[in-house]
Amino acid sequence: MTPARARERARIERLWWRAGFGPRRADLDRLAPRGLDAAVDELLAPPRGPELEPGRGATVDGQPIDPENAYGHDVLWWLDRAVRARHPLVERMTLNWHDHFATSNEKVGSVKLMMAQYRTLRRHALGRFRDLAVAMVNDHAMQRWLDLVDSTREAPNENFARELFELFTLGVNNGYTERDIREAARAFTGFRFDWDKRRFWFDADQHDTGVKTVLGRRGSFTPRDVVQLAVDHPAHAPYLCRKLWGYFTPQPCPAGTLRDMVRAYRSAGTQVRPVLAIILRHRALYADLAEGDQVKPPLVYVAGMLRRTGRRVDGDHWVWLLDQMGQRPFSPPNVAGWDQDLAWLSTGTIRSRFQAVSHLVDDWVEDGSVAGTQTPAQAIDAAIRATGTTHVGPRTRDALWRYARASVAGRTERWEVRHYYAERQRVLRHLLLAGPEAQVS
Amino acid sequence: MRGCGGWHANRRALLGRAGEAVVPIPAEALERGLAAVERGGGLSRRDLFARGVGLWIAAAGLGATLSTRGVLEAAAAQAAADPDAPILVSLYLDGGNDGLNTLVPLADPRYRTLRSRIGIAPETTLALPDTADFGWHPSLASLKRLYDAGKVAVLPSVDFANPDQSHFNSAAYWRTGVVGATLDRSGWLGRTLDALGTRDNPLQGISASWSLDPVLISRGAPVATVRDPGDFSFWIPGVWGDEGFTSAYRTASRAGATPARAAAAGAYRNAFAMVDRLRPLRTDEDHPAPPVPEPYPDTDLGGTLRNLARMLGAGFGTRVAAVSQGGGYDTHDDQPQAHAELLKDLGDSLAAFQADLAARGLSRRVLTLVWSEFGRRPEDNDSNGSDHGAGGLVLVVGDRANGGIRSEFPGLGRLDEDDNLLVSTEFRTVYASLLESWMGVEAARVLPGVDGRRLPLVRPA
Repeated sequence: MTPARARERARIERLWWRAGFGPRRADLDRLAPRGLDAAVDELLAPPRGPELEPGRGATVDGQPIDPENAYGHDVLWWLDRAVRARHPLVERMTLNWHDHFATSNEKVGSVKLMMAQYRTLRRHALGRFRDLAVAMVNDHAMQRWLDLVDSTREAPNENFARELFELFTLGVNNGYTERDIREAARAFTGFRFDWDKRRFWFDADQHDTGVKTVLGRRGSFTPRDVVQLAVDHPAHAPYLCRKLWGYFTPQPCPAGTLRDMVRAYRSAGTQVRPVLAIILRHRALYADLAEGDQVKPPLVYVAGMLRRTGRRVDGDHWVWLLDQMGQRPFSPPNVAGWDQDLAWLSTGTIRSRFQAVSHLVDDWVEDGSVAGTQTPAQAIDAAIRATGTTHVGPRTRDALWRYARASVAGRTERWEVRHYYAERQRVLRHLLLAGPEAQVS
Repeated sequence: MRGCGGWHANRRALLGRAGEAVVPIPAEALERGLAAVERGGGLSRRDLFARGVGLWIAAAGLGATLSTRGVLEAAAAQAAADPDAPILVSLYLDGGNDGLNTLVPLADPRYRTLRSRIGIAPETTLALPDTADFGWHPSLASLKRLYDAGKVAVLPSVDFANPDQSHFNSAAYWRTGVVGATLDRSGWLGRTLDALGTRDNPLQGISASWSLDPVLISRGAPVATVRDPGDFSFWIPGVWGDEGFTSAYRTASRAGATPARAAAAGAYRNAFAMVDRLRPLRTDEDHPAPPVPEPYPDTDLGGTLRNLARMLGAGFGTRVAAVSQGGGYDTHDDQPQAHAELLKDLGDSLAAFQADLAARGLSRRVLTLVWSEFGRRPEDNDSNGSDHGAGGLVLVVGDRANGGIRSEFPGLGRLDEDDNLLVSTEFRTVYASLLESWMGVEAARVLPGVDGRRLPLVRPA
């Protein structure tokens, strides 16, 4: 492979980690000859057809999962979608929007409502942000999460209005006042929910139809009007574009690029797709190709390793492992979502990331299945193939070689060969899947 | 059942992990106190390896300058400045404890009707020496002993006006000390440290758990998250011994050229270093933990309080600490046995903790505030359990607690519009009373807008 082709391949690999859940080798073989631009085009205009790759979905103890009823299966459901996604960017943006409109089942208390919210986020994943924000006002999980259903004309609850400005559209203290929050909250009154009947409805009698002053405008605003006022605010487009940029790369966003994104976003009427096109084609996304410059979010790390190794979700251990790694879908830590990138890593979470691979490699290589004639080079090659590894950096290579030589030195007895050659293979694969290089993309 | 799915299994702390630094504390500082380390002429890195590590402290709010020596010096300074400073421990009962079945209102004729399915039989309750109105749950023999000795102040119905029956909201209000939405995520004990603590001693506030307890989130004062010293290791199935793969991982983790890659390598280096240093501290058959005067239950809470007593005994200048009893108080169904086990664990753990503190000469310096996000509905449900209610039971435990029933029990004759217990006492009144009569800090500095009501929860010295 020429250096130029190798670089193009590495760019596409980076793209598939940031805009999806990591590449399989077959993905790279398919995409590399067509080049990066074609790969970006494919992400932005996903092919028609099913959302997921065919075949076996997630299982626990050999049985299909039951996300609405069985504890933790909602997490497996999301993980399975990431592993089998046919539209990687749509799936990844759905996760990003879940972080942006961070809603937790710990308060909502209904997997069914959370999964319905997932559908809404996914439907608008690459579309018009204004429509997504309006859909969030009408989303039942959101209505419970930020107390819209406890907000009446007599006693408007400010929770949703506050987060709409602070987190969803403008940014903290970025161009709105406490008065704007109070006035906007009046516009969001009237949504109701009956626990016993599990019924949501809009009660016009509880909606405050009076005149409100929000972000400098006066009118008898409805919920939809207030969302429109927020996305029309001059601070909105830069806030949202910068936030989107941050999901894809830790590199600073150049001022000129921000201007380009804001222009594209506004002229397309808050369409997200043109903004993503700028980000995914930007050279900053492909900085430090050899090293990796962003820590993989836990869900991406796990889905990616399952994809690399051709596995499917086949047990509920992923629920607590993802929990310990700090990212449990449907349960973000608070309304601000997850702390990203370097914040994912600590001595505790790295141990969980290590353990995740310990679960994956369990039973993978049987004692006695590796011949005593296998050389260190053959052992490393076998591990690279089995783990779908596409790139090995110098420090990892050094570690693999030292270990591959030392681990079987002097192991000549029959029982030793039987065990230690297999053990070597287990450790090599483990290091390729969980080592420091595997934590970043 | 009301919106509880998944509440217990995953409650990550509200604070991110960013900005936490980790330092080791030598084992002898725990067992013999700071003075032993001081007499030894301070502490070098080599000493630390040689002597073993007692605990690992993850400290929030100090930035990159944190070192073991710095932490110990700051701790020694704060402890020396006020060697008798009072300590307040928050013990959270996760899920909404059923106060009506913890302290049973024997004299209330409605109890038997409302609790026709899960009521505690009056003849099985444990009597209080000073009133026949109540009886303790039969599992609370240890707590009864403390109460009889005058060491438990009891508040039967504490909550806030217009109680919110969401775990999430209620717990947030109790933790922040603010009722309603707030941008400020700090906890009331964190702000207590902001008011009376120092800027350099994270051990002044100890979160005895795996992540920072939200009540301890401060605006500026550093606080520490203490992890279990005995359970941190790496394994790969089918691999004998950890030397080989540890060495390979260390080689791969020597450095990283980007911040992300360096962070991944650094996390591994730190994690493997922790394994090494904690190895001497693992307790097993050959290396039992140091003896205690009264055995702690072999439970998460028992172990946590035992660990906390060691920390308090070391003289780190600790002023506040937070502990929780995980999981099961959200007893929507099959309550009787589960609740009995939780209460037995709670009472036995508290009694062992008190005995341990007494043996360490600390029992007059420590008060433990036991609370939950709400009480449960007076009328039991069809699933042999109880639903979210209002008016929770609060206990203040310690030698200096003003033992007895210390607030009004509103009774079951008149309930609120949701058929819940009326709230006779606001939780901020409890906080304010403890802040002023125990911690010695003006309540309004910690609880903005708190009113002037106070309760006599502390006995004069």
